[in-house]
Amino acid sequence: MGKTKDKSGPLARRPDNSAFKQQRLPAWSPMLTANTVLPFFYLLAVICMLLGVWLLLLVQSTQEIKLDYTDLGNCNECFDLRRNVSNAVQTCSCRVEFSIDKSLKGDVFFYYGLKNFHQNLRRYMDSRDDGQTLGRIKKLKNPSSYCAPFDKDNDGVPIAPCGAIANSMFNDSFTLNYHLSSSRIVPVPLLRTGLTWYTDKNVKFRNPRADNLTLAEVFEGTRPPLYWQKPVYSLDPHDPNNNGFINEDLIVWMREAAFPNFKKLYGILNRADPIFEKGLPKGNYTIDISYNFPVQHFQGRKGVVLTTLTWFGGQNHFLPIAYLVTSSLILLTAVVLTVAWWKFGKDGKNMKE
Amino acid sequence: VDCSLYSPGQLNTFFSKKTFVRCVMVSTYTSLVLFFIPWAAMQDSVRGDGKDVADYQSFALSTQTSLMIVVSAQMFLDTFYWTAINQFFLWGSIAAYLAITFTFFSNGLFFVFTSSFPFIGTARNSLKQPNVWLTMFLTCLLCVLPTVAFRFLHINFLEKIRKFTRFQKYKAREEGQPAPAPYRPPPRRVSTRRSSYAFSHSQGYGDLVTSRKFLRLKRRPSLFGRNQSPLVENQPQHYRTITEEAEESQT
Repeated sequence: MGKTKDKSGPLARRPDNSAFKQQRLPAWSPMLTANTVLPFFYLLAVICMLLGVWLLLLVQSTQEIKLDYTDLGNCNECFDLRRNVSNAVQTCSCRVEFSIDKSLKGDVFFYYGLKNFHQNLRRYMDSRDDGQTLGRIKKLKNPSSYCAPFDKDNDGVPIAPCGAIANSMFNDSFTLNYHLSSSRIVPVPLLRTGLTWYTDKNVKFRNPRADNLTLAEVFEGTRPPLYWQKPVYSLDPHDPNNNGFINEDLIVWMREAAFPNFKKLYGILNRADPIFEKGLPKGNYTIDISYNFPVQHFQGRKGVVLTTLTWFGGQNHFLPIAYLVTSSLILLTAVVLTVAWWKFGKDGKNMKE
Repeated sequence: VDCSLYSPGQLNTFFSKKTFVRCVMVSTYTSLVLFFIPWAAMQDSVRGDGKDVADYQSFALSTQTSLMIVVSAQMFLDTFYWTAINQFFLWGSIAAYLAITFTFFSNGLFFVFTSSFPFIGTARNSLKQPNVWLTMFLTCLLCVLPTVAFRFLHINFLEKIRKFTRFQKYKAREEGQPAPAPYRPPPRRVSTRRSSYAFSHSQGYGDLVTSRKFLRLKRRPSLFGRNQSPLVENQPQHYRTITEEAEESQT
């Protein structure tokens, strides 16, 4: 038997006597009393200080070596050569030397860095076609208009990969050598894969479906960007998993940096070699650079960075120091609040009325 | 009777110039903190495995999430009664933000609308990094704690601080003044002026009544100051009962 409500009479439209409709819901009302706020502030000050100290110790344990090679040593000649755009076809190589006083223990990461290169410019960031780098054939032959003027060349041949970002790809290459003894120079092996995010390498960038064709045949009918020396399908002919759009150097470059001074991963030390099992030993090193990327036109600088890392990252002192400063500010505020509570709180016992 | 609805109007707390200036200052400070702390923390930083974390998309996500958390914290502070509904909507806002972010940055949407959702993978990769979370925690602390401290002082001590400073001022003034003259009540003047109400009902007195000779405002000391109105202090009004026999005996 179902319940039938009496729907007539003067009290027919009365709301139900439930907690929700009668606004009697149980509620918690936070009160900013001295008992809760003051201990909270002191606790936060302690937490921030501990975090700051811990992070500072972590950051201090990393080692970093930076080398600006824009016009260092005989790279100066290459620097002058690259001033003129018509020399772009000529290769130029130079050598820089440096020494490591304290050996870099653990995994060592090799970065190239640029200064004053604004990858975060809006029009520059729009100049790409994610559909093309995803491997869509339609987009391969018909790049999006966002890539203009880097979408087709003068003859109307589509460019793959299109856009200003791909066109300005960093194309210097480095060979790091270690002077084991005065007569023996050993090349330092660097792993050139495993540099990118998993989602970038496996989802965002895909080569167009090959079926039975080679990669070069798939890209037929397109041409490489105007500033490139090699086409995209021969960026790494030895490793088919690193060739074409899924080349890791390309992917690393296409992930636009947020700031004008940035560094991007070039290689990771391969510790399989017994000499470099524990890291980079101390001693003299040279880097042979194939100098291609011109930086004069935007008043930039380029360099290499060798660094060890912790789970927290590299050598960025800002966060530990900020935590320490914040902890002292919170402590100061807590003291001020305690003084105010002491003078004016406690039922005004300390006030003469 | 809870008349707290009247106090903002009486105290002019919402639309005054002082409130506006304070609002502008707080907003400027919060905006600067929300941008520059992630900016400085991400300069030249990388992940623990060497890969990129200082890219544009991660920076944008980190700033955006800090903003969300700061705004939610501000709302938490402003909510006086935490019923189940409030809890659902406040925690639900944060949950909805995270759900929407992960959806927008997912593989599926990228495959369908490639050029509209280029941030694919950013949420998964950067929100996994402890230094991103530590940056957001620091930003939140710097934005929310000043509000908490100021509110604590305001709620608990403002009345007492005002009384104390007023007392100090009164004391300082009293010590420097001569003894006040003895108090004499002002002489009573028998008033022959009748109210203009009576005149206004007869013909011919319209000009006289509407001229400004009647009902001039006298500067008498007010019985209740602006800040001492019982409405302002949220105290019940005390009513004096007037019995009818007493009134009849007076007229």
